[in-house]
Amino acid sequence: MKSLTPYFAAAGTLIFIAVFADFLTPYDPYVQDLEGALTPPNSTNLLGTDRYGRDVLSRVIVGSQTTLCASLLLLATISTVGSVIGAICGYSGGRLDTFLMRLSDIFLAFPQMVFAIAAAGALGGGLLNAAAALAVIGWPKYARIARGLVLSIRSMTYFDAVKMSGSSSVQILFAHVFPNIAGPILVTAALDIGTIIMELAGLSFLGLGAMPPTAEWGAMMNNGRSMLQTAPWVILAPGTAIFITVATFNLLGDNLRDVLGGQR
Amino acid sequence: MKKFLLMVFAAIFLLTGCGNDKKSVPTGEKTFTYGTIAYGVAMENVGTNPHESYSGWSTLRYGIGETLFKFNEHMELEPWLAESFEQVDEFTVKIKINDAATFSNGKKVDGAAVKKCLEALIANHDRAPRDLKISSIEADGQFVTIKSAEKMPALLNYLSDPYGCIIDVDEGVKNGIVVGTGPYKAVKVTDTQIDLVKNDNYWGIVKPKIDKITVKSITDGDTLTMAMQNGELDAVQGLPYSSLQLFQNDNYKISQVNTSRVYQAAFNFKNPILQDLNVRKAISMAIDKENFCKVLLNGNGSPAISPFPANLTFGDKNFQPITYDLDAAKKLLADSGWIDSDNDGFVDKNGKNLELNWLTYTSRQELPLLAESAQANLKKIGVKLNVNATDNYKTFLKNGEYDIFSKAIVTAPTGDPEYYFTSHIVPNAVDNAGFYDSEQISALENELHNTFGANKRSEIAIKMSQQILDDCALIYASHLRMSFVMKPNIEGFSAHPSDYYEITAELDKK
Repeated sequence: MKSLTPYFAAAGTLIFIAVFADFLTPYDPYVQDLEGALTPPNSTNLLGTDRYGRDVLSRVIVGSQTTLCASLLLLATISTVGSVIGAICGYSGGRLDTFLMRLSDIFLAFPQMVFAIAAAGALGGGLLNAAAALAVIGWPKYARIARGLVLSIRSMTYFDAVKMSGSSSVQILFAHVFPNIAGPILVTAALDIGTIIMELAGLSFLGLGAMPPTAEWGAMMNNGRSMLQTAPWVILAPGTAIFITVATFNLLGDNLRDVLGGQR
Repeated sequence: MKKFLLMVFAAIFLLTGCGNDKKSVPTGEKTFTYGTIAYGVAMENVGTNPHESYSGWSTLRYGIGETLFKFNEHMELEPWLAESFEQVDEFTVKIKINDAATFSNGKKVDGAAVKKCLEALIANHDRAPRDLKISSIEADGQFVTIKSAEKMPALLNYLSDPYGCIIDVDEGVKNGIVVGTGPYKAVKVTDTQIDLVKNDNYWGIVKPKIDKITVKSITDGDTLTMAMQNGELDAVQGLPYSSLQLFQNDNYKISQVNTSRVYQAAFNFKNPILQDLNVRKAISMAIDKENFCKVLLNGNGSPAISPFPANLTFGDKNFQPITYDLDAAKKLLADSGWIDSDNDGFVDKNGKNLELNWLTYTSRQELPLLAESAQANLKKIGVKLNVNATDNYKTFLKNGEYDIFSKAIVTAPTGDPEYYFTSHIVPNAVDNAGFYDSEQISALENELHNTFGANKRSEIAIKMSQQILDDCALIYASHLRMSFVMKPNIEGFSAHPSDYYEITAELDKK
């Protein structure tokens, strides 16, 4: 069996940095020093300073907290809510199933990012609103997967046995359905982390996510956009951070799928 | 083999997309391609019909139309289509039109044509009737006599606004194109581009030299920068400040000028906290204008004291600046009872932190920079500032959801100070976002409105600006320096303090 340790270690390191970001920053990421603005990377400021003279390394570290924590929280929310809705639909069937699935069809019909941009714009920006916009469009995918899995479980003999034993619906759902669909949902979620990070950073890049002066990778890239030729470190640092994080979580998700799902 | 051929075709297909799309130009024909951020639907200036919204700016900027008078670099009026004028009485002015002036269709510009154009302007434009207050216009040969409903000391200044471009009304507006008197004629107008050709009938002494001009709207600063770098454009206006240094070398020429565009922030007097002069003054003292201009604007702005730049007689040179002094600011807050009693880094009074919302928009890229630098500086004096930089700012303005609103505005578009006071400062002014209401200002505005003569008007304007500064009603952060970047072979293309004149008959490509 493939070892997942290196991928978990890499992802764990990133999460560790995000959680303890406040203690790891060499400087206050929000203190401006206009006299020292746009200093190229050097021994004092390892990744240089931005146009306000703020230390880029400190902002990238604190930005990991904003980006990563927001993405993971968002993912936890949509995968849980989506799975519960899907499981209930699959288990109960009937009108409720038809209604919720048609609703999810409507959301699935929209291009995800376009919907998120429109919703975040209408809500007025801010990280919370951006996350809410992504949550509204993100849950149907999990609902669909969960529903499909529950339908296949329903046709299995052990399911009939559980039903005949007189267990209540809640018991069946929690004791027999959720544990059996958790694996594929987890794999989907792991594969989704990268996408969610990109989408949240994308909204911030467009000015619809984190508001100034919050250090957030997408917003930092947007601030440095016009300086790509004159002060490239301002945009390259958060850009590289996004690349490394997304690549790490995508590799983790891929390998997790291989191990848990047993399919490619 | 099949795969190989496919790859070759794919490569050819991809590479053809990368080439420069340079159209062949007949030899001897001079062309000029100009990229600007200042043309587009968002600026409300698409089209060339001066009687519609801000489209007159495009008519004037791109050399299609001309006004009766024009501004020189000191923003003083000079004759243009008009040859001279006579102030008959306080309500009446008689203007003589230059005998040589013709429209681009060859028709003579006489009193009747001007009368017809001004009447169409008043009938169709939204701002012009309110500014001009014209009661009647009479035409007689090359003369037009304009009577105002009330005393209008700045009438000629207002007639020099871009909406005052004289066009041939009889020709109408066809696909956004009008017949003007300028050195160039529009042949195609879209929301993103204007194509111009030389006006062979141009009446001026200096004749246009370029055969074809393309004005391209490129609203993204980075795209504009790269288009200029790879040679697609001959000249450009509105580059991001951070990109300007890429062009400070022998391969390009830069023309810069200080304009009357000011970055200002108005305190919302509806907020009881901001009704306290000490709080307003403390916030004003915590804005580091020097470094904002030097670092964040890359030197492309000068610290402002008053609404008007120093090159105007009623401008900055008449006033003492508010010094950047964080200790004095903290003391002022303490005098008003704002002290950090719970050691959370923010001053408080009656158990509430001093927290304010700063509203601004992003289409002027310097405004969020000002907001964010103010945010960091105000934190140093214990004021918590929440920045809301959104292009949806009008909704927040309408709902009153702001304590400070910062914007960029041309304060003296007509070279006269009254426009700014009537539009932004007097009570009930359309753009008085801070609801600033001063009896002294109202009395002085009344006096200004009834005073003729530039010197006397300047004196009153100075008193008004001083009153605003004494009240700390607004913060004036910086006056903008406008820059045109061009290839070294471009001549006669220079930035003007009014922001009105860009393409003129002087323009040439060597």
